[in-house]
Amino acid sequence: MFEELLEDIAQKNGLREVNTNLKLATGLGAILLCLLSSSYFPPLFIALVLTGAILFLARVDPKTYAELFIVPLWFAVMSVAGIILISGGQDIFWKWDILPSFSLSITRDSINQGIFVFCRVLGGMSALCFISLTTPMTNIFTVLRQWRIPEIIIELMMIIYRTIFILMDQVVQIYTAQVMRLGYSTVKESIHSCATLCGAAFIASWDAGEDLVQAMDARCYTGKFAVLGENRPVERGPLLALFAFLSLSAAVVIFSGNSTII
Amino acid sequence: MHIMEGFLPLQWCIVWWIIALPCLLLGLYQLKKVLAADRETLPLLGVTGGFIFILSSLKLPSVTGSCSHPTGTGLSTISFGPWITSVVCAIVLLFQSLFLAHGGLSVLGANIVSMGIVGPLVGYAVYRMLRDTSVNVYLTVFLVTALADMFTYVTTSLELALAYPAETGGFVSSFVLFMGIFAVTQIPLAIVEGIVLALVFKYIVALKPDILIRLKIFSEEKINAARDDAS
Repeated sequence: MFEELLEDIAQKNGLREVNTNLKLATGLGAILLCLLSSSYFPPLFIALVLTGAILFLARVDPKTYAELFIVPLWFAVMSVAGIILISGGQDIFWKWDILPSFSLSITRDSINQGIFVFCRVLGGMSALCFISLTTPMTNIFTVLRQWRIPEIIIELMMIIYRTIFILMDQVVQIYTAQVMRLGYSTVKESIHSCATLCGAAFIASWDAGEDLVQAMDARCYTGKFAVLGENRPVERGPLLALFAFLSLSAAVVIFSGNSTII
Repeated sequence: MHIMEGFLPLQWCIVWWIIALPCLLLGLYQLKKVLAADRETLPLLGVTGGFIFILSSLKLPSVTGSCSHPTGTGLSTISFGPWITSVVCAIVLLFQSLFLAHGGLSVLGANIVSMGIVGPLVGYAVYRMLRDTSVNVYLTVFLVTALADMFTYVTTSLELALAYPAETGGFVSSFVLFMGIFAVTQIPLAIVEGIVLALVFKYIVALKPDILIRLKIFSEEKINAARDDAS
């Protein structure tokens, strides 16, 4: 039902003790470089390096990591197929004029464009996974405070964060119970079970919210969670690794220029 | 399914962020006002956010076997209005990209516009039109949810088409193509989501109608009429 929350993995990954700012800089820098690149190669390079870091430094289970890519890649393949068919260009391999004003074609340019977008998704996804698999949300809250994000947003984020875990437990319990009673055996049955599940989740979250108000009022809540924020010091090793990774990737972006695959 | 990381080119990421930011600021301003009036709303908003997260992580029974999901913004839109919903949605989308690798950071702006701004705005407009008419509560919820869901995906197609226009026919034919890809899975799904949320509503009306009255979603008479219908 639910993919294992990446948060659980992040809480016990091998890079947990590295400074949060450094990890965020790695991920965000990689995303930016992928977007700045105009060739298919740099995103692939970034995907390869970060996948290596996730599997060997953070020691994430390879199967879990691969499963994360299934859904987005399915969507990516569909959309990339669309892009290849419509974007046109030089060297036409195949062409079909459906309507006078609309035609589908496969060309050298469109294949290059499609592969480029696909590689950029790979690079971007691995950078995103790097952040989510190595940095627990609690550390990100601390960093957001340092960045002077409005207090009200951080409060809201923390409460949503908390509620998600309360709800998740309940939803999984109810869902398992429904499956055991053949609640998802037919389409009609599934719609009904799904509705009961959502309804129960809404009421449960409402109750949880009311309990939370009372519990916090009783502890003199005035609108600010006092959380002990701790961030690990910046160490020389990770800092050098970050610097090397970003400058190497930037060099790859610059030198690969507009090179295409075919 | 949200647009995933890396799919949009840099300039379009920036454009959608620029469109999303004023809406988020407006939402933030309203949020501050609401909270200054009544602090108890904060946990409630948090709960709503948690609920949206859970709902949009659920996989709906889908006819075509696609992996689409409800957007879950309907209830929040009705109770807090579209702008505050956009702030809650932005947070939920951020969490989804970090917890489930669903969506992305550079495309967050585009996803906020489709799921957090356009969808809720359409839903809210439908709700305001139907609230004071004699239209049945369940039908209202069905329409709000189904249309909000449909327009979320129309906006997603628009975002994709603007970034990747076709050679012949340009933006329009590319929009039609992406709409075509989505329509296959999304129209049945929007209808299923509408039905599911209407049933959820029936469940809440039966078990805890005071929630709906306190949130001023529907008037007491309408809820009572709905209870009579159900029983």
